[in-house]
Amino acid sequence: MTLNFLIAPDFAPERFAGWHMLNTVLQKKTDLHLHLLTPATAAEQSQLIADGNVDLVYANPFDAAEMVRNAGFVAIARPVGKPDEMVIATGAESAANSVEDLQPGCKIALTDNKDVKLIGLRLLEPADLTEADVQWQLVETYQAAARMAIKGEVDASFFLADAYHSLSRLSKSQLKPLVESHLADITHVLLLHPRVAEQAGKLQGALQGLAGSADGQPVLDELGMGAGFEAMSAEDAEFMIDLMDTLLS
Amino acid sequence: MTLPAMQAAADATRQAQQTFHDGSSRQASVSERENPYPEGRLIISRTDLNGILTHVNEAFVEISGYTEAELIGQPHHILRHPDMPKAAYQDLWATLQAGKKWHGYVKNLCKDGSHYWVYATAVPNVRGGQVVGYTSVRRKPSRKAIAQAEAQYRDLRAAEGA
Repeated sequence: MTLNFLIAPDFAPERFAGWHMLNTVLQKKTDLHLHLLTPATAAEQSQLIADGNVDLVYANPFDAAEMVRNAGFVAIARPVGKPDEMVIATGAESAANSVEDLQPGCKIALTDNKDVKLIGLRLLEPADLTEADVQWQLVETYQAAARMAIKGEVDASFFLADAYHSLSRLSKSQLKPLVESHLADITHVLLLHPRVAEQAGKLQGALQGLAGSADGQPVLDELGMGAGFEAMSAEDAEFMIDLMDTLLS
Repeated sequence: MTLPAMQAAADATRQAQQTFHDGSSRQASVSERENPYPEGRLIISRTDLNGILTHVNEAFVEISGYTEAELIGQPHHILRHPDMPKAAYQDLWATLQAGKKWHGYVKNLCKDGSHYWVYATAVPNVRGGQVVGYTSVRRKPSRKAIAQAEAQYRDLRAAEGA
């Protein structure tokens, strides 16, 4: 049996090899044939899913909410200790020391990442800033967002927390975090299409068996998910989706 | 349901008799001390259909001053501050029972009589087409929004004869 395995396009480029390694080790452990799909953009991902060609997805939490509630996808696992967090940072020389120092009309650089933008908007609320109050500067990479903040071309930049912490020491020394989220309960999720739901047990077993195993742990380390995957129940997914729902407005 | 006793700090400045919708009451000891909202965090709880706490996250426990064991199984109004108007909670429950999402600014009472302000969003938990409980998620409000809510709640409480 062949399953199309799609990885959401928001992973760091250096993790690319890790996803291929995971695909290989999961095939070995499940006797399933997995065909890896790595769309370059959110639009490409949406098209692949809409075409009905995706069986297994490593989805960001916001897409997961839509896919579970509206398309019947089943959550089977999530990475342990890897919540989706974000950082709002400004240049080290900036006069701003907290989010509340940002003013209406401020410029904020961000990448095309819905999760980061939504959480960031919630973190701007203490400053009474809404989406319409900000001049958004869309950039291709987190490095570009960092450069703009460092040069003072924007008042702040939004980062996926992992991306922020992966910036070079030099870049971070020229930046000043205004706030970092600690939402804890919101993570990427592995989802299975309902037409192949009978494969859930096999895949959960294989994913949970990766941590500490000779062939699994190096893969997890390559993915930056050293603590491995934990099984996720339908209620775990529903709980997370309820949380997401509260953040949507 | 009888609430666990508060442990009022030395800075408590007033006592308030509170009566809740289930007929229970308590004497709340209140100070004017405001605790800062924990930066970057969400304060999360879940209740059953009767408003009994079934889940609280770490941020909820830390800021409330109660232990998790003291909170689970208690009615959500354990956090009710006497400065909050009854109308706010009536609106909350009416909105949730209509199956809708509720938003509002809330002044919550800590175990020691101090308080913290939140912007709360509550949603019904729908499972298999049935509402099985409610989730409430709080975020950090702006000072301007807090000032507006304080004024509005003062007026509402005056209208309620409090």
